[in-house]
Amino acid sequence: MNVGGAIRALITFLIFVVLHYTLRPLLGWRAPMDFLILALLLASVRVRPASAAVIGFVLGLISDSLAPDALGAGAIAMTTVGFGASYLKAVFFADNLVLNAFFFFLGKWVFDIMYFIGEQRVHGVELVQQLLLWSPLSAAVTAAAGVLLLFIMRPLLEPSSA
Amino acid sequence: MARAIRSNTRVDLIVLSACIVLALAARALPNTMRDPAATGIRRTFLVPLVMLQERSEKARQSILAADAKQSFLDSLSLNSMKASDLESENERLRKVIGLGSRIRTGFVPAEALHGRGIRDETTVILTAGSRAGVTRLSPVIAPEGLVGVVDQVDPTMSHAMLWTHPDFRVSAMSPDGTAFGIAQAHLTGATGGYLIELRGVPFRATLKPGALVVSSGWGGVWPRGIPVGTVLEEIKTSESWARTYLLRPAVNPSDVYSVMILRRERLAKGLEGVWQNVAQADAAAQRIVVSGDSAVRSAALAEAAARRALLDSMARANGIAPLGAGDSVRAVAPRPAPVPVRRPPPDTSPRDTTPRDTIRRDSVPPPPDTIPLRPGATR
Repeated sequence: MNVGGAIRALITFLIFVVLHYTLRPLLGWRAPMDFLILALLLASVRVRPASAAVIGFVLGLISDSLAPDALGAGAIAMTTVGFGASYLKAVFFADNLVLNAFFFFLGKWVFDIMYFIGEQRVHGVELVQQLLLWSPLSAAVTAAAGVLLLFIMRPLLEPSSA
Repeated sequence: MARAIRSNTRVDLIVLSACIVLALAARALPNTMRDPAATGIRRTFLVPLVMLQERSEKARQSILAADAKQSFLDSLSLNSMKASDLESENERLRKVIGLGSRIRTGFVPAEALHGRGIRDETTVILTAGSRAGVTRLSPVIAPEGLVGVVDQVDPTMSHAMLWTHPDFRVSAMSPDGTAFGIAQAHLTGATGGYLIELRGVPFRATLKPGALVVSSGWGGVWPRGIPVGTVLEEIKTSESWARTYLLRPAVNPSDVYSVMILRRERLAKGLEGVWQNVAQADAAAQRIVVSGDSAVRSAALAEAAARRALLDSMARANGIAPLGAGDSVRAVAPRPAPVPVRRPPPDTSPRDTTPRDTIRRDSVPPPPDTIPLRPGATR
């Protein structure tokens, strides 16, 4: 990845992070979209697994700092998701919107499963309901938002012809 | 090449393990250390993002509150729109209740249902019938005065002829009994409103504008003392032996909603005194208005006199004749010699012995907007 591509990827990453802290609370949905996961996945497929793990760790710590009781749970989940996405990029790295949507869906769902289990705040039926109902819904919304943003930001994400 | 790949994979796994261990360590931190760590992150890296999130939360609350405020404003304006109707209805019902308490017995309260037909401005349906004691030719009254008479009776409802009906007649008089006549509808085509004519008033009896006219009780249908209207002016007709007056009706037919139907047994007792307090109150109000007018006139005259005195004193100070001294100056100046006036010869023709109209010139009728409109008519 050349310098221009890195800058574009960084800008995209920052846009997604800003969206996470602006659009998500503004919408206030019960099954919210997760722009941090989208930013992590889009960054992970462009860097090495070690870098993706570090990015995931930092993002997870930042998101955990707003919920100190779960500090570390998000970091574990995001580290794993980032590393996995970067490691499996050969499988998922394709210019196919449906495949990308599935990639986003899977990444968000895996993150939720790891996060809620690691957080240990929700138990029993509530945990099952969260993991099998609300998390897939949130993952679907995240995937839809990710595909839409990919479509909108395609000029920014595609490598330059030069 | 294969060794480099294996080395890179090993580095990736080492970094992953380090991150996982650090995250687990963060997860395992005690509360006393976890909170300062989270606070430190929030106060350094996350400050701009927390600020953005805070603004977004406020924006969301504003949007939600805007909906609630809008619905509150909508219901408030809806209530305020209803309030005026409720106030007028309340006032009308209060008047009906007040009339009922003055009549005491022998009446049937009813609602007047207006139709939208061609002749419906002269008739109404009443929500009381023969089961409630209503009979044909039962008088229908409102708190303001005369409304009409029942002409058809069903068991549960009845049909009434309003005073605007061309066939409607009622014997009327002035409250002191000096002038009698027959009141009937007078359609003023120019204004599109209904007024009442008081016909057949004896020539010797005069009514001043504003005078109240009530039912006389003659004829057996209407009891004595129900307000019919107030005199607007005398109108010229072909009947030279009697006067005809134009009355402003006591009841606007389009505003009749709650009425009272008088029973037969109540007619014999009469209704004198029922509207007396209302008439007295009107007279008292008019006296208050007149005294207020004279007080204002006195104040205006006093102010004018003071202003004139000031101008006179200023004129004297400047050596000019005062403004109000014109008459005295003219009195001191020498008068011109009197000129003989040639008078015309005395008129020897016979004088007109016909009595002059006794109606005062200053009897200006009220403005047109006080004339009740016919339902559906336009000015």
